[in-house]
Amino acid sequence: MREIQLSLNQTQKIRLQKALQKLESLHSKVNSDASVTVADTIPISLEDSILKGHGTAERNGEVVATVCGVVERVNMLVYVRSLRSRFKPEIGDIIVGRVVEVAQKRWKLEINFNQDAVLMLSSMNLPDGIQRRRTAVDELNMRNVFEENDVICAEVRNFQNDGSLQLQARSQKYGKLEKGQLLTVPPYLVKRQKQHFHHLVQYGVDLILGCNGFIWVGEHCDARDTVAEEQLNNTEEQNTKSTRVSENVPLETRRNICRVANAVRVLSTLGFSLTLEVILEAFNLSSTLNLGIDEMLVSEFHVLVAEKEAERRSSLTKKKR
Amino acid sequence: MVGLSVGEKHFIQGGINQNLRSDGRKRDTYRPIFVETGVIPQANGSARIRMGATEVIASVKAELGRPSALQPDKGKVAIFVDCSPVAEPTFEGRGGEDLSTELSVALQRCLLGGKSGAGAGIDLSSLVVAEGKICWDLYIDGLVVSSDGNLLDALGAAIKAALSNTGIPRVHVTAAASGDEQPEVDISDEEFLQFDTSEVPVIVTLTKVGRHYIVDATSEEESQMSSAISVSINRKGHICGLTKRGGAGIDPSVISDMISVAQYISEQLINKLDSEISAAEADEDES
Repeated sequence: MREIQLSLNQTQKIRLQKALQKLESLHSKVNSDASVTVADTIPISLEDSILKGHGTAERNGEVVATVCGVVERVNMLVYVRSLRSRFKPEIGDIIVGRVVEVAQKRWKLEINFNQDAVLMLSSMNLPDGIQRRRTAVDELNMRNVFEENDVICAEVRNFQNDGSLQLQARSQKYGKLEKGQLLTVPPYLVKRQKQHFHHLVQYGVDLILGCNGFIWVGEHCDARDTVAEEQLNNTEEQNTKSTRVSENVPLETRRNICRVANAVRVLSTLGFSLTLEVILEAFNLSSTLNLGIDEMLVSEFHVLVAEKEAERRSSLTKKKR
Repeated sequence: MVGLSVGEKHFIQGGINQNLRSDGRKRDTYRPIFVETGVIPQANGSARIRMGATEVIASVKAELGRPSALQPDKGKVAIFVDCSPVAEPTFEGRGGEDLSTELSVALQRCLLGGKSGAGAGIDLSSLVVAEGKICWDLYIDGLVVSSDGNLLDALGAAIKAALSNTGIPRVHVTAAASGDEQPEVDISDEEFLQFDTSEVPVIVTLTKVGRHYIVDATSEEESQMSSAISVSINRKGHICGLTKRGGAGIDPSVISDMISVAQYISEQLINKLDSEISAAEADEDES
């Protein structure tokens, strides 16, 4: 297993290993018979005709796994799903990306994938909110909407012929992200859930878990659409963008943002899946221990988070029974 | 280096103004420092230092050589830094050369003092074997494995750790020689002299962003800097070297202020480094 990048002394190593073993023991019953490593034979009954999917190969008449992962069977299809891999997008995924290029009638975004994603001008709401055909003037004003290096959240619309993604950002909740920080975690830690936009009300923090491994933590914004605000302000001032951005984030919100961001960093170092409950658990743990925000990145806190998570999951499984 | 949007830049600058940076640190706090010594067994001394995501390795090799004619009672030290393409794709081929040269020169200035050898942080007279004839040449090499800002501080700390891990073989001069002849020497394989590093300075880099200075900047924060000053300070609080980077000019009164801030921070850094280095050496002895 890839080693966790932490410097631990002897007792901390032992405690962390115990916590990780406890977590493993809670789950091993489910999947242990289905997990395979490279060159393991996949058990198939010879009477059924099967389709060999991704991660399999035929060798000496047997179906053999070519990646390390879990065997999945769907009707006649047998494939191996690898546990750690590049981001595998699906239609409807929430993505956080960074604009790298403003091209003809589209923006190109970097999303931690093997190709840049494309956001068409027609998939974006116009500043005046009217549904109409995009004209040449709209095309010339693209930079007023999104510039290079802007952070945007959008949704996957479909795949293009060459395998790259096409995104859309038509709803109010998508659009430019400001007043916060962007974190990068390995993409397999963000599983697909019902909700990727989390508004932590009591802290005033927005948390967006992009399926591509980009996590945005920032101050809460009500209307992320640039429409309404520019409408109001355009009549009064010229530089609406800069006045909005240059308002300082209040100190209390900033503390919460940094604490949530550090909780995400700790969980990503430990390799735990990122869900809202786990992040809030780590957040509350640091608050109850009265840790300074930067003290969350010390090895001792990592071990404490691992132990807390092991306790939480074991109590969950006990409740289920 | 990934670019930053306008909103992110404002967030970083606002954080520095409010004394709460993106990872929760204050302006004068270092990231957690991890030290590992003895990572390169073939070298006389080596150390690996990790500060957040910045990781550097330093190694010290000692060879017998001739002292220079101008300073016959001093040994020689050469410092070179190499930026590996593993750290940044832009370092591939000759891309990392500019940064390597800049770091090597800054380290030489901070640790070795002037051309005449005066004011060196490393005591060069302890390296001499036979005055005028034989001395130890120390070759100190630094390798940047992962770059997330504050390379100079990390390299300075790694060199200090590598020097405290360095064992120089004991040399017996067997035959005395006269004139220009080289004396015969017997290099012992068993006995080693530990290098005395209590006088070796540490380097503290203060990065000026807006109106405030921060210590141990990440590469995001460094992209916002107007200028940076690196001060090398030894245990007594004396300044051994000073380097300024960055395009903006600084008022002299601001420089004096930055130096006193660096002096204050260096005390904590020296204590922290010394405890981490001794812990790392203890770990190495055990394993």
